[in-house]
Amino acid sequence: MKAARVLAVRGATLFGVLIVSLLLVIVVLGATGVSDRMIDSLVNEQVRGLRQSLAQTIRDPDQLERVVSEQRQQLISFYGLDRPWYTRLPDMVWRVFTLDLGSARTLKSFEGSTRVSDIVLERLPNTIILVTSALVISAVIGLYVGVKLATRVGSRLDRAMSYLSAVSYALPTWWVGILLILVLSFQVRLFPFGGIISAPAPQDPLARALDVIWHAALPVATLVVASVGGWAYAVRTMVLNTAQEDFVTAARAKGLPENVVMRRHIIRVAAPPILTNIVLGLAASLGGAILTETVFNWPGMGRLYFDAIMALDENVVVALTFMFTVLYVVSRFVLEVLYIMLDPRVRY
Amino acid sequence: MKELLSSGSGKIGAAFFIALVIISIGVIVAYPANFGLRYWSNPVLWADNPQVAPPSWTNLFSSEKHLETKVFESTGQAERLSEPGATRIVYRFNLNYAADEAPSFTSLTVQNVSYQDRPPIIAVTVQRPDGKSIGLYQLIVSGPRPGEQPPFRRYYDTPFRVQLSGEPNVASAVSDFLEQQFSLPISDQDLLVKGVDQAVFGVPDGDGGFKVLKGNYTIRVDTLLYNQSDSVGHLKYVVGGSVFGLLGTDTLGRDLSVGLLFGFPVALFIGLVTSVVTTFIGTVTGIVSGYMGGKTDTVIQRASDILANIPLLPILIFLAFIVGQNLFLIILILIAFGWPGLTILIRSMVLQIRSGNLVEATMTLGASKSRIMFRHIFPQTAPFVFATMIFSTPAAILAEASLSFLGLGDPSLPTWGQILESGFQNGGVYVGYWWWILPPGLLIVITAMTFVLLALALEPVVNPRLRRVQ
Amino acid sequence: MPMLEVRDLKLQYSSARGVVKAVDNVSFDIEKGEVLGIVGESGSGKTSLSLALMRVLPKNVHAYEGQVTLDGKEISSLPDEAFRKQVRWRQISMVFQGAQNSLNPVLKVGFQAAEPMLVRSKTDRREARKRVEDLFELVGLPREIYDRYPHELSGGMKQRVGVASALVLDPKLIILDEPTSALDVSIQAQIMNLLKRLKRELGLSMIFITHDIALSSDICDHLAVLYAGEVVEKGSAEQIFGNPKHPYTQLLLASVPRLKSDTDPKYIPGAPPDLTSPPPGCRFHPRCPYRFEPCDHKVPPQVKVDEGQTAKCWLNVESEKVKAKK
Repeated sequence: MKAARVLAVRGATLFGVLIVSLLLVIVVLGATGVSDRMIDSLVNEQVRGLRQSLAQTIRDPDQLERVVSEQRQQLISFYGLDRPWYTRLPDMVWRVFTLDLGSARTLKSFEGSTRVSDIVLERLPNTIILVTSALVISAVIGLYVGVKLATRVGSRLDRAMSYLSAVSYALPTWWVGILLILVLSFQVRLFPFGGIISAPAPQDPLARALDVIWHAALPVATLVVASVGGWAYAVRTMVLNTAQEDFVTAARAKGLPENVVMRRHIIRVAAPPILTNIVLGLAASLGGAILTETVFNWPGMGRLYFDAIMALDENVVVALTFMFTVLYVVSRFVLEVLYIMLDPRVRY
Repeated sequence: MKELLSSGSGKIGAAFFIALVIISIGVIVAYPANFGLRYWSNPVLWADNPQVAPPSWTNLFSSEKHLETKVFESTGQAERLSEPGATRIVYRFNLNYAADEAPSFTSLTVQNVSYQDRPPIIAVTVQRPDGKSIGLYQLIVSGPRPGEQPPFRRYYDTPFRVQLSGEPNVASAVSDFLEQQFSLPISDQDLLVKGVDQAVFGVPDGDGGFKVLKGNYTIRVDTLLYNQSDSVGHLKYVVGGSVFGLLGTDTLGRDLSVGLLFGFPVALFIGLVTSVVTTFIGTVTGIVSGYMGGKTDTVIQRASDILANIPLLPILIFLAFIVGQNLFLIILILIAFGWPGLTILIRSMVLQIRSGNLVEATMTLGASKSRIMFRHIFPQTAPFVFATMIFSTPAAILAEASLSFLGLGDPSLPTWGQILESGFQNGGVYVGYWWWILPPGLLIVITAMTFVLLALALEPVVNPRLRRVQ
Repeated sequence: MPMLEVRDLKLQYSSARGVVKAVDNVSFDIEKGEVLGIVGESGSGKTSLSLALMRVLPKNVHAYEGQVTLDGKEISSLPDEAFRKQVRWRQISMVFQGAQNSLNPVLKVGFQAAEPMLVRSKTDRREARKRVEDLFELVGLPREIYDRYPHELSGGMKQRVGVASALVLDPKLIILDEPTSALDVSIQAQIMNLLKRLKRELGLSMIFITHDIALSSDICDHLAVLYAGEVVEKGSAEQIFGNPKHPYTQLLLASVPRLKSDTDPKYIPGAPPDLTSPPPGCRFHPRCPYRFEPCDHKVPPQVKVDEGQTAKCWLNVESEKVKAKK
C-alpha cells in the first residue's frame, strides 16, 4: 500500500535522526576524552567486584594483586581502552543504545541501585505522565479556543488572544513555573512546592492518586500555559485559511448545516497542517518538560538531567540525552502516522 | 515597512525594540569591557551591600519602615582645622534616621593613604539625636615597615575595610558608653551578639534589648595628618540597611539592577546574531536546493531533514555539558541546528515560484542561474524571510536563558538566565525572594515579546489570506 | 408561468475600498426545461449572482434584497434555516467553477456527492451509495470513482463529479458557473454534450454562466447579458444572436473569431469598471463607441425592443435620440 511506503521513508529518516544524534554524542565523548573516563570507571567497578570475590579464595596479598592486575589488563583490552577512541565507535553505539553504561557516579535510583539503566528507566513513566497530560489538555483547549477565534476574526477577543498567544510564546516555561510556585505555593499555600507525592505518602490508592494529581497540577499547568497560546494561534490561522477555500463554500451551497461544514470541511481539512505545527513544537515541549521538572522537583528524566549535570555524572547525562532523542523520534513517528491517516494526498 | 507601523502591535513592538537598542548601547558604552569577570564575580566590590535585600521602593508599601542603605563618601565638604603639629580634616555625614529597625551593619572603608613620617589617624564618632555621642573607632594607619622609604603608601590597590559592627574595640567603646550614659551593664560579648549597631542607633528598652532612636545623626570622621603632603584619598562610611537600590540585591550583595542592565546587550547580541546568521544560511540553502534541484537538492534536503529533527535542548545540554560553557559555542550550536528548519520552508516556496512563469521567462532571456536565484526568486521570498528572522530571535534568547537556568550558561557573563539560576539555586522560590526571581524573567519575556509583536504585525504581509478577512 | 422569477435581486458587500455593488437590481425569468445563459466578463458579478441565488453570502455582506419566486412560492422571504433545508440543493443546486477547488481534498469524491443525502435526508448508506454510483454512470464516469480522492482524478472527471453531485437531490434548477473554463477544448466538448443530453433526457432547467458568448449559443434557450452587476440585455437566443440591441452585446458578438470570415475580430477597449464606484449614467458609457448626450449622466431604463427582449440603452429610446439631434 502506498501509505506504507511513505511511512517507511519517514521512518527511515527518523531512524537516521537517531543514529546521527547518537554518533554526535559519541564522537563528542570520544574527542573530548570523556568516553575514556567513562570506560575507565566501568573497568574499575568491575575490578573492584573482582577483587572482592577473589579475596575470598586467594589469601596471599601479592598473588591477589597480580591476579587482579592481570584481570584488569584483560578488561582494558576487552573494552578497548588501550586503543584510540574512534576504533570503539560501533561498540559505543551499541552500548548507548542498550543503555549499558555502567553505574552512575553519585546518583541512585529510588531503590538504591546505581546502574544507569535502572535510574533512567524508572523515571521514564513520570516524565511521560507529565508530558502527555499537558499535551492532551493543551490540545483540547487550543482546539476549542482556536476554532472560536477563527469564527470571530478581527473582534476584540481575537486581537486580545493574538497578544496573549504572543506572550505565551515568549514566556520561558520554567519561569512560569517559578511564578506559579511563588504565587500559589508560597503566597497562597494552595499547592505543594514540588515533588510527586507527599511525605508520608497516603496509603489508600485513591488518596495516593489524588495526591499525585495535586502535585502534578502546577507542573502540568505550567506546561499548558507555555504551549496553549501557540496552539490556539496555529489552529486559528489554519482554520481561517481553510475556511476561505472554495470547497467550504461548496459545502454550504449543498445545504449542509453549519456544524457539519465546520467539522468535516474546515477542521478536518485544517488538521494536517495543524499537526505539522504540533510537530514543530514537539522539540520545544520536550525542552519545556526538562525545565519544568527541574523547577518542580518532579522525579522524571528532566529533573534527573539537571541533577546529573550538577553532579557531573557523565554516564547518566549520556543515557538521558539518548533517551530524550528516542522519545522525540518515537513521538514524531506517531504523529507522522496520524498525518498520513488524515491526509490522503501524501499517500503517493 | 508600512504594514509594520500601521498595526497596533507593530507600533508597540517597534517602540520596545528601539528602547532595547538604546538601553543596550548605553550599557555597552557605560560598562567596562570585562565587567563579568572583574566586577560581577568579584565579591569584594559588593561587600558593602546588604545581602538579599529587597528594593528600596518596597518601603513605600510596608508599614514597618526598613532602613535604606546609605553610603557616605568623602567627596564633599570637609572642615580643615589646624592643630599644633597636625592638620585635622573633619567630614560630617548627616543621616536622617526614620526607619523602624537598626542597621544590619556599618562599615568604614579607607583608600589611598600616603604619608611621610607619622601615620595618619582616622577616628569615627557618632553624634546622636539625643545629644549623646560615642567615640566608636580609631584607626592608626599601619606604620612603616623595615626597609621602606617615604612616601609610605597604604591601601591603594586594596581598600581597607572594617566592619564596625564586628570590631571588638567598637563593642568595647559602646559598652562603656552604655554603662556611662544609661547605667546599662552589658559585656562586650553580649553586645557583639546582640548587635553593636542596635545600641549605637538606639536606646535601651528596659527589657535587655534596644529600641530604635529616630532622628538626625551626624557621623564625624576625623582624619589627623602630621605632614603637609600627607593625604587620605578616599573614605567611605556605609550604614547597611535591609533594602537597597532599584532592584535589590542577591546573596552576595550584588546590585541586581546593575547585573540585569548588563543582560540587555547580551540578550540582543545572542538573539540577533543567531537569527540573522541562521536565516541567512537557511535562505541561501533553501533557494539553492529548491532551484538547482537534482543531487544538490536531495543532499541538502536529506541533511536538513535530519538536522531539523534533532531535539534541540537535550543535545544543547549535552554539548554544553561536555564541551564547555561558552557563549560562542552556544550560539554556534543554535545556528547549526537552526538553519535546516528555514531551508525546508524556503525550498517549498521556491518550488512554487519556480513553476511559475516568471522564472521560465527569465531563463529564456538567458539569465545566469545565480542571477535568477538572487535577483528574481529571493525578492519573492523576502517578506517571509524577514518575518522569520524577527520571529526566530526570541527563540535564541529563550534557549540561552534555559541553558543558563540549568547551570550551563557562560559563567563569565551575568545574563538574565544566570541571575534567575542563582536565584533559584539559592532557594529564592521557597523563601520568596521575588525581586530576584521576577525581574529577570520579566525582562526575558518583554524582550521576546518585542520581537513577537513585530512578527505579528508583519503577519498580514506574509499571509495575505489574513489580510482579506480584515 | 415561469418556473423561476427573479425580481430586483441585489447583493452588496463591504470591502476595504468601499461597498461593492456586485449584483444590482437583476431581474429575469426561466421557464421549466429551459437553459438561461448569463454572459459577462470577469468582474461582472456572475459568480456573486449564482451565490446570491443560493443565498450563500460572504461574511462582509452589506445588502441583500430582492424577490425570488420558485414554482409560485416566494423563497426570498424564507428565513435562513428554512431556506437551507427546503431550497438549497433540493430545489436549486450548483456546479462550481473549476471543480478542482470545490472538492474537499481529504474526503472521497463519492462521499462528497452523497453527503447531502446522508446528512440531510438521513438516507441509508448503501442506498445513498447506489444512487451516487448511478449518477456517476449517468454522467459517464465509472462507478468505482466513488472511492477515489480528488487528487486522483483529472479535471474533466472532477467536473463530471460536480454535475453528478448537483443532481443528487433531484433539484428543479441547476446553476452552472463556468463549468468548462478550466478544461481544454476537447473535454469542454464532452461536458457540453453531457449537459445537452441531461437537458434532453431529464428535462433539466439550468442557468449557464459563462464569459464565452459563443459557448452559450450551444445550449442556451435564453440569454441575459451581465455588465457591471446589471443585466444590460435579455432575450431569446435567436433575438440576442440575431438582433442584439445593446452595444456591449454587439461588441461581444463581434469579438468572437469566425472560421469563415475575412474581418478581424473586434475587441472592446477599456476595462470593466470598479464595482465600488461604477460610472454615472449608463455604466458602459466609457467604453461604448456609440455613446451620446444622455449616456454619461442619465441611467437608462430597461427598454422593450421586441417581444421578450429588453436592452438597457438610450439608443433604443427614440425620444432621446431625437432630443440629442437638436
